[in-house]
Amino acid sequence: MAATTESVKTDAAEAPLLNIRNLVLGSLVYVLFYGWVRWYEGVYGWSAGLDSFAPEFETYWMNFLYIEFVLEVSTAGILWGYIWKSRDRKVMSITPREELRRHFTHWVWLVCYAWAIYYGASYFTEQDGTWHQTIVRDTDFTPSHIIEFYLSYPIYIITGGAAFLYAKTRLPAYQKGLPLQYLVSVVGPFMILPNVGLNEWGHTFWFMEELFVAPLHYGFVFFGWAALGVLGVVNIEVQSISKLLKKDLA
Amino acid sequence: MSASQSAVRSRAEAVKVSRTFDWLILFTLFFVVLGGYHIHYMLTGGDWDFWTDWKDRRLWVTVAPIVSITFPAAVQACLWWRYRLPFGAVVCILGLLLGEWINRYLNFWGWTYFPVNFCFPSNLFPGAIVLDAVLLLTGSMTVTAVLGGMAYGLLFYPGNWPIIAPLHVPVEYNGMVMTLADLQGYHYVRTGTPEYIRMVEKGTLRTFGKDVAPVSAFFSAFVSILIYFLWHFFGQWFASTKFVEAA
Repeated sequence: MAATTESVKTDAAEAPLLNIRNLVLGSLVYVLFYGWVRWYEGVYGWSAGLDSFAPEFETYWMNFLYIEFVLEVSTAGILWGYIWKSRDRKVMSITPREELRRHFTHWVWLVCYAWAIYYGASYFTEQDGTWHQTIVRDTDFTPSHIIEFYLSYPIYIITGGAAFLYAKTRLPAYQKGLPLQYLVSVVGPFMILPNVGLNEWGHTFWFMEELFVAPLHYGFVFFGWAALGVLGVVNIEVQSISKLLKKDLA
Repeated sequence: MSASQSAVRSRAEAVKVSRTFDWLILFTLFFVVLGGYHIHYMLTGGDWDFWTDWKDRRLWVTVAPIVSITFPAAVQACLWWRYRLPFGAVVCILGLLLGEWINRYLNFWGWTYFPVNFCFPSNLFPGAIVLDAVLLLTGSMTVTAVLGGMAYGLLFYPGNWPIIAPLHVPVEYNGMVMTLADLQGYHYVRTGTPEYIRMVEKGTLRTFGKDVAPVSAFFSAFVSILIYFLWHFFGQWFASTKFVEAA
């Protein structure tokens, strides 16, 4: 019988290597939350998001913005603080099995990061293009920006930061120093958020929504390239996991 | 950590663990590359990709391959040279097209009501397949850059021909000759209108007649070769595993 079809028995008392529940729940959080956000945009974008001087804009959109600011700062503080505070101070002494388990947990974080990047850089960013081609903006805080810049970007920053911190505080493979490509893949997309400052400042001079490829937007492009740093992360992970499994796969 | 200890209980578990990581890696790589590639493409070639009235036979043909060969070259640099996986370009285009189609349906159509036959994305698959095939068959980055990059640029227009041809049929409207795609642009007013409407069927373009698209494709192929080289090295850098000392 081929090795791939042999049954795998796990110790009943032992925690599973990959926590499928966390993987599914983590993914569902992004998909369901952003599904709800898209519903909210569909309903309140048209009914309350066309005129930023209208009272309903304040009610449905500016309040949404204020709430997300508070939630994002507190989520980042609590999550990153927790991961750092609960770090393993003897990370180089863990057993190989525990190390493997942590790699799986790290990959649960990376899968969440993938969802977050997809929604931020792909779904809500291109959506912003079609919104601007439909509605003349009269504020930096248009409905599409309140979702794209100030919700989906902070969420992938928080998720990416959490994945990085998890790797740095719990995995022996990341104790050699700061993994440059990992840093690039987290900090680069993070820089897209400060680049919003340049973007909005530019838009106070020029009405440029008619041209999505305008050079004013190239800052987003440059920092978007940093997502390719995930290639380096994959390579670090493959090296580490191969080392753990090499003997058993030989 | 003891070197004598094993991370798994059996060879079967090792195989299962290895396969599970493969899926996790593939999923993450796919969606992270999708995100980075999509934001790059929409902000460097997006307008030509969003609307049929921008899908002309000169600048669309020129710009789209040049700006889209970037991520395929970079991902090939990692997947082929490290893992001998010959699908770096296709996996990038699959990601980009998935992100675009979801957006065009759910947002361009679903939120702002532009019909899909006005805002469907360009087809980038033929060039990507050839790019991967050349790399697989030759194993040479230089040959892939020159032959694959050239094919990537040249195949773009023919690859989109069956889709765009009906919209490039000429029509007369208010005394002007334009394409059906131009007419769509007239009727679906966007905030950038009228400046956003691109009447490309004018000037010296017409004196060149049928040659415009091939000439544009050839120029695009030339620049695609250069961009491939550049981005292949970017890809190698991004795929490296350097560590720096913490300050």
